[in-house]
Amino acid sequence: MQNGHKQVLVEVRGLKKTFKRKDGTVVEAVKGIDLDIYRGEVFSLLGPNGAGKSTTISMLSGLLSPTEGEAKIGGYSITTQALEAKKLLGVVPQEIALYPTLSARQNLEFFGRMYGLHGSELAKSVDEVLDFIDLRERHKDRIDTFSGGMKRRVNIGVGLLHKPQLVYMDEPTVGVDPQSRRRILDTVIRLKEERKMTVLYTTHLMEESQELSSRVGIIDYGQIIALGTVGELIQKVGEEDRLIFSVGEQQVPDALLERFRTEVPGITSASYAASEFTPVAGLEDSAELVIEKRSTGAMRVVRSGQVMDGEITVHAKRGRKALPELLRIADEMGVDILSVEVREPDLEAVFLHLTGRALRE
Amino acid sequence: MDKLWSVAANDIRVTFKDRTIWLQLVIIPVVIMFFIGLANGGFGGNGVVKIRLDVFDQDNSALSGQLLADLRAANGALILCPMDGGEDNACRLNGATLTEELAAERVKNGTTQATIIIPGGFGEAALAGQPASLIYRSQETPGQASAALGALQAVVQRVGGAAVAAQVAVQTTGSLAVEDEDGFKQAVYNAASALWNSLPPTVSFSESAAKEGRRPSGFSQSVPGIGTMYVMAATVVVMFVFIQERKQWTFQRILTMPVAPWQFVGGKLLARFVNGMIQYGVAFAFGFIVGAYFGDSPLALVMVMVAFALCSTALGLLFATLVKTEQQAGSVINLVVLIAAPLGGAWWPLEIVPEWMRTVGHISPIAWAMDAFRSVIFYGGGVESVVTPVLVLLGMTAVLFIIAVSRFKYE
Repeated sequence: MQNGHKQVLVEVRGLKKTFKRKDGTVVEAVKGIDLDIYRGEVFSLLGPNGAGKSTTISMLSGLLSPTEGEAKIGGYSITTQALEAKKLLGVVPQEIALYPTLSARQNLEFFGRMYGLHGSELAKSVDEVLDFIDLRERHKDRIDTFSGGMKRRVNIGVGLLHKPQLVYMDEPTVGVDPQSRRRILDTVIRLKEERKMTVLYTTHLMEESQELSSRVGIIDYGQIIALGTVGELIQKVGEEDRLIFSVGEQQVPDALLERFRTEVPGITSASYAASEFTPVAGLEDSAELVIEKRSTGAMRVVRSGQVMDGEITVHAKRGRKALPELLRIADEMGVDILSVEVREPDLEAVFLHLTGRALRE
Repeated sequence: MDKLWSVAANDIRVTFKDRTIWLQLVIIPVVIMFFIGLANGGFGGNGVVKIRLDVFDQDNSALSGQLLADLRAANGALILCPMDGGEDNACRLNGATLTEELAAERVKNGTTQATIIIPGGFGEAALAGQPASLIYRSQETPGQASAALGALQAVVQRVGGAAVAAQVAVQTTGSLAVEDEDGFKQAVYNAASALWNSLPPTVSFSESAAKEGRRPSGFSQSVPGIGTMYVMAATVVVMFVFIQERKQWTFQRILTMPVAPWQFVGGKLLARFVNGMIQYGVAFAFGFIVGAYFGDSPLALVMVMVAFALCSTALGLLFATLVKTEQQAGSVINLVVLIAAPLGGAWWPLEIVPEWMRTVGHISPIAWAMDAFRSVIFYGGGVESVVTPVLVLLGMTAVLFIIAVSRFKYE
C-alpha cells in the first residue's frame, strides 16, 4: 500500500485488546489503535509503563490475538496469515529470551532454524549477525557467562537472523548500563541506515524516542494520543522552555510564585512541588529520629512530614533570558536556589501537555 | 517436521548441558535399583518376593503330595501354608491353627494370595481318569496376571498329564496281574512325570525358571520398576519445561517466529519421550550389567517402554496446563511420581498387595507397564502377553493428550 511516496509496511486498524480479571472485571489494555508504519522508518511507540505498548507489540507479533480490529504486515493479516506475516518480522523482546546454558552461536543457530534457515545459509547468517553485534570472539561462550549488555546484543541478534523487513524492539535498553545502552541505540540507527530495515521501537524514555525516531506515536491508557515527527509533536506545546529550580527542604511562599508570574516577562506558569518524608510503617512514633541515607551517602536526621526535594517549575517563552530576573526575585524572597535546569521543548513536555502527567510518573 | 526435530534436538541439548542430569538419569536410579533389587532377592533367582498360599490337602495322596512339591519347584517365591511356615513364621500364622474360615480371612486381608483346597479323592479320581478338580480361592481380578495361579495351572496340567499316563499304564499292566498295583501305579507316575519334565512345558513360567542361571532375580523387579518410576519423572517434567520456557521467554519468542504451535509443543514432547527412552536404556543396561534376567522377548519389552513413555509424556502435558509456577510443577512431579510408583507396583510386585490396592493401583499407568513387564520377565510371555496393557497405555495416552491439547494455552 502506498501513502503518497511512502510505502506502508504495517497497517493497524481498530486494534483492541481486553483482558478479563479473575474477579470478572474487564480491563481494556488497548482501546482501538489506528496506525501506519512506513517502510524504512524507525517508528517509536512512546508511553509510560502500563500504557499498552507491549500489548500492542504482542498483538502485532502474534503473541496475543486481538479482541477486535486487524493488523497487516506487508499485506499479510496477523490473524489469518500469521505464518506469512511472521516471516517478515524479527522480534526483540524486552526480556532476554535466550537459552542461558547454550552458547551465543548455539542460540543463534537454533533460532535461525526456527526462521527456516538451514545449512550454509544458516551458518552465513549466524556469522553475519555475530559480526553485527560484535560478539564473534565470544561466540562459543555460554550466555550465562555474558554481561547484561552482551546478552542484550545477542537478544537483538536473534531478531535479525533472517534479515526481516520489520524489527520490533520492545524497550531494549531496560536495565542496561549507559555504555551498552549507547551501543544498542547505535545498533538501531545502523539497522535503519545500513540494512534499510523498518523498526518499531517501544520505550518510555523520551530521549531515546527523540534521538532514534522518524515518527513517534505517544500512547497512554491504551490509546495513541499523538502521532507525528518529533518536530510536529513539539509544535503542539509551542516553543516554551521549562525551568526547574531545586529548593531542597525550604518552604516556598505562594507570593514567590505570584511574583514570578506577574513581574517577569514571558512567564506563562509557575508551580511548586515537593515530597514529604514519610517514615516506614511501624516507625511513625519515632519519626523525628528517623535517619535517611541520601544519595550522596551522607547521613542526616529528618522528621516525619518534613519537606524534601522541593522544585519550582516555570514555563517561559524565552527561559534563559528570564533566568537572572527569576533568581533575583528568589533571593529577595529569601529562597536559596540550589540548582537550575533549563529544558527546551521535548517529548516529555508534549506528554505533560497532553496528559498533565510526566512520562516517568 | 524440520522445526519439530530442531525443537526436540535443542531441548535434549539443553537438558544434557546441565551436569546434574547425570545424577538424575544414572546415579540415583542405579543406586535405588541396586538396593531395591538386593532387598527383593538380589542376584539370586526367584528371590523377588514371597507369595503365601494357604493349602488344605484333604486328599493327602501321593498325587496331591507330588502336586504340592511341583508347585514349590515351579515357583520358589511360593510359601505353602502351613507346611512351609517354619520357625521364621513365614506363614504369619502366629501359632494359630489354619482353618478354612481363617484362610478366607487371610485372603481377604491380603496376608495370603489364595487358598488351595485339594478335595479328598482328588488323586484317586485323577489316576482313574475321572474328572478331578481342586479349589483355588482368591480375590484376583480376571485378566490380571497372578504368579500363584499361573504356577498352579502349569503344575496341574503337568500332574494331570502324568496321571493319565499312569492310568493307561495300570490298565495295561492290570491284565498281567501285577502284585503291588499301588506301588506300580506310583512308579509309572514317577516315570511319566520324569518324562514330562524333559518335554517342553506348556506354561512358559516353567520354561524360564527351568533355564539354568536365567531365572528372574531381585533386579528383574527393581530394574523395570524403578526404571519406570524414573521414566515417569523424566517425562512428566515436561510441565516444568514449559513453565521454564515461558519464564525465560523463549516460548513466547518462538511463537513470534514462523513456527506452528504444534511444531514447538510436539518438539518438546518428542524430547521428553526420547529422554524417557534413554532413561529406560540406562535402567536396563544396569540390569544387564548385574546379570538380571528380563525374559525372552525384547520386542515386547520395547513395546511396553514406548507405550509407557508416551503415556507419561501425555500426562506431563496435561499437568502443564494446570500448573503455573516452577514450585507447583516441582511439587506435582514429586506427588505424581511418588504416588504412582508404589501404587503401580514399581517398588514391589502388586501380587503382594491387597486386592483393593491392586485395583486402585491400576489407575496408575505404572501398574499397566509393570503388569506387562512382569508377564514377559516372570511368566515368560511374548508380544501377545503385553498387548492388553500396551493398548490400555496407548488409550490413556490418547485421552490425556486430547484433554491436554484442548486446554493448552499458547497466549
